This record gives sequence, structure tokens and C-alpha cells, in this order.
Amino acid sequence: MKPRCTALCLFAGIAIGAGSARAADPAPPPEASIKYRQALMSAIGGDMAAIGNILKYGLPLRQNIATHAENIERSAALIPSAFETKVVDGLTDAKPAIWEKPADFKKKAEAMRDQAKKLAELAKAGDPEAVGKQMKALGGACGDCHDDYRKPKEESYKRRAGGGGD
Amino acid sequence: MRRAARAALAIAFLLEGAARADGAADRIARGRAVLEASGGCTCHTDFEGGGEPLAGGRPLATPFGVFYSTNITPDLETGIGRFGDADFLRAMREGRAPDGSAYFPVFPYTSFTGMSDDDLLALKAYLFSLPPVRRANRPPDAWPPFGWRISAAAWQWLHFAPTRFEADPARDATWNRGAYLATAVAHCGECHTPRGPTGALDRSRWLAGSEQGPEGQLAPNLTPDRETGIGDWTHADRVWFLQTGGKPDGDEAQDLMREVIEHGYQHVPAADLDAIAFYLESLAPVRNKLERKR
Repeated sequence: MKPRCTALCLFAGIAIGAGSARAADPAPPPEASIKYRQALMSAIGGDMAAIGNILKYGLPLRQNIATHAENIERSAALIPSAFETKVVDGLTDAKPAIWEKPADFKKKAEAMRDQAKKLAELAKAGDPEAVGKQMKALGGACGDCHDDYRKPKEESYKRRAGGGGD
Repeated sequence: MRRAARAALAIAFLLEGAARADGAADRIARGRAVLEASGGCTCHTDFEGGGEPLAGGRPLATPFGVFYSTNITPDLETGIGRFGDADFLRAMREGRAPDGSAYFPVFPYTSFTGMSDDDLLALKAYLFSLPPVRRANRPPDAWPPFGWRISAAAWQWLHFAPTRFEADPARDATWNRGAYLATAVAHCGECHTPRGPTGALDRSRWLAGSEQGPEGQLAPNLTPDRETGIGDWTHADRVWFLQTGGKPDGDEAQDLMREVIEHGYQHVPAADLDAIAFYLESLAPVRNKLERKR
């Protein structure tokens, strides 16, 4: 075997080894779960804010409300899986209670999904008053879950990061 | 002839009775609107303890100890059923019980003192239209001497004088309506204005937020400061928030704010919420970054 080939083979071997090591690595860092959860919640918040903007300013985009509501419905369905891995340490406002009462947590996520579904249906039916009312119901469903499973703003990591301390 | 006169008299009597009933119903309806503009008086409902609406007993944590809200249903023994109009006005405007003793300032008479007699008596009519609930009031679990009535009297002597809301002639009717609602009826300042060491509102930082909100909650800065207040909210954002609890970023109101929107502000006519929003926008921005007290 020529030395050049040996070097090439060795290089290739290392490359394959490294590649497979990354693929087989079973544990992404815990903060990755936090980042994912927060991105999912931001997506829901974004759709809520978008509907809010259409309604509060009377934008001629009412036809978009149903799509935003469906987005929320679909995102809501991802919540239980997003919180399957328990990560409570780090820059997160998730309360440990999520993993102490997983059935209730899931039930509240489903309740929120149902309210989003109802909002999509009402938006398609086009009754502005019913849509406004249902937005409140949907916001209430968000709040019901946040009350039990999200740290209150007093204890938010955002405030701690701001220098307040505990 | 005589019969006709008697019939006319009877009809007149009936009409007057009907008119009186109508007047009373109107007043009760107006009183309900006043209650809603005040945020629904939810401090007087012990939601967590499963208490009846407005029957009191809700623990209110303050830096001076835990106070329990009172029963404001018209029960004769445990509620306010024996309050006459003058008693009610004195309680709300002067912070005094019918026996003359001072109420603890955890009861926000410091704001309600600005309310009109007309609104207050309508509120009383509404409260008296509700079913009485028997539930005895509970004395405070406060550090001595803060739990003593005499301390409340001393506090009033130091920090409180009954003051009616005075309209500012330099401002328009909408601003004045908003100022009246926000400062007196909705009593925003009681949670959202920082307090000094003796618990008096620091009026130089009016609505600039407080770390010592009720139940240990943080009450955000409502002034239009862009960095520490809600200066980045639009007028529509403010009105929408009071109607739905939805914040511009898609999050929703929490805790006590959620409660007062649900039981109160969301029912307030849009014109009044508009007025409150205009008033808030007219405030001088105050820089006050809230940090959790250790």
C-alpha cells in the first residue's frame, strides 16, 4: 500500500467515524429542549398577536384569522411531545409540575387546541362578535395552563437575567 | 264620577310604582357597570378557597402581614346589610366603618374617595340586589402593631384625606373621564404605583409600577416609558388588552390582572376603555425598572 493511500484511507476513516459518532449521539444538550419549547410557544404567541392585530385595528385581513387559528391548533398538538423530556434547569420558565402532573398538562394543552379549533370554525363562519369572544376563550385556555405550569413573571428567568436575583 | 276618580288615582299610583321600579332597576344596572369598571371587586371573592362571590375571606398578602377581605354581600350580620347610604359613602370615601373606626388601607378607599356619590350609591344598590351570604370576617394576621385598628387611624392621619375627583378644565371630556375611571373607580394606582416604607403611594411615581403588588405580585409600569413602561404599546393595544387580556406579543394577562379583566374591565363600554387608554398615554414617562425584592 502506498503511503498516500494510507493517509487517504486513514482520513476517510476518521471522517466516517466522526460522522457516525455525531449521528449516534443520543443526548442533545438540555438547553436544546428549552430552545425548542420556547420557539413553539413563540410561534403560538405570534399567531395570537397576529389575530389580535387584525381585530384591534380592523385590518382588512379577517380571512387570515382562520389560518392563524389552525396554526395554533397544530402547534398545540405538538406541546405534549415538546415537553416530554424533562428539563427544568436553565433559562426556562417551565415549572417542574409539568412532569409531576403530565396527564393534566396534556389535558390543558388539548383544551387549548380545542379552543383554537373552535376559533378557526367561527372565523370561517365569519361572525365578528363570536370571533372576538372566542379569542378571549382561547387566551383563557393559554392562561389556564400558564397559571399552573409556567413560572409567574416575578420568578421568570428573564427577570433574573436582568439582574434582579432571587 | 267618584269611581272614575278612584280609578285614575289607582292608575296614577300604579304608574308611579312602575316608574320607581324602573328607576331602581336602572340604578342597579348602573351599579353593576360601576362594579365592572372597578374590576369586579374580585379581592372580595376567595376564589382559591371556594368562597361565594363578594363574601370576602380572601387572603391579601402585604409587607405588613396578611389581611382578609371583607364580606360585601348584604348579609345583615356578617356583610354590609345594615349599611345606610351615609355609611356606605363614608366607608368608600373616608375609609371609616359605621362605628367610626378606621379601615386598613389594604381596602383602597384611598382611590375610591374620588368617586362620585352617584356612582357609589348605584354600586351600593347593585350590591344590595345580590343574595346575602353569611360569612364572618376574619381579623388580619399582621405583625403588631399593623394589625391593630388604631394603626389604621394613625395611618390615615399621616397619609390620607378624603378628596373628590376634580376635572381638569384644561383637558377635554374624554381625558377627564379616563382620569376619573383610572384613578378613582378602576383604582389602577393601588397596584401599579410604588409605595413608600409605610405603605403610602408614592405619587411622584404615579402608575410607574410596583414590586409589592397585591399577593406579592409584580405590577408593571403603566407609564409610556419605552424601556421600562408600556411606551411601545399603541392605543389599540391598550384597549384590546383591557377587553381581552391579550398583550401585543401574543401573551396574556396573569393573576390579579387576568381576574379584574375577566370579572370587570372586559365589560366596560369601549368609549370608557378608550378614555382610560388616552389618560394612560398622557402620563409622563417614568423610568422604573422593576426588580423582584429579596
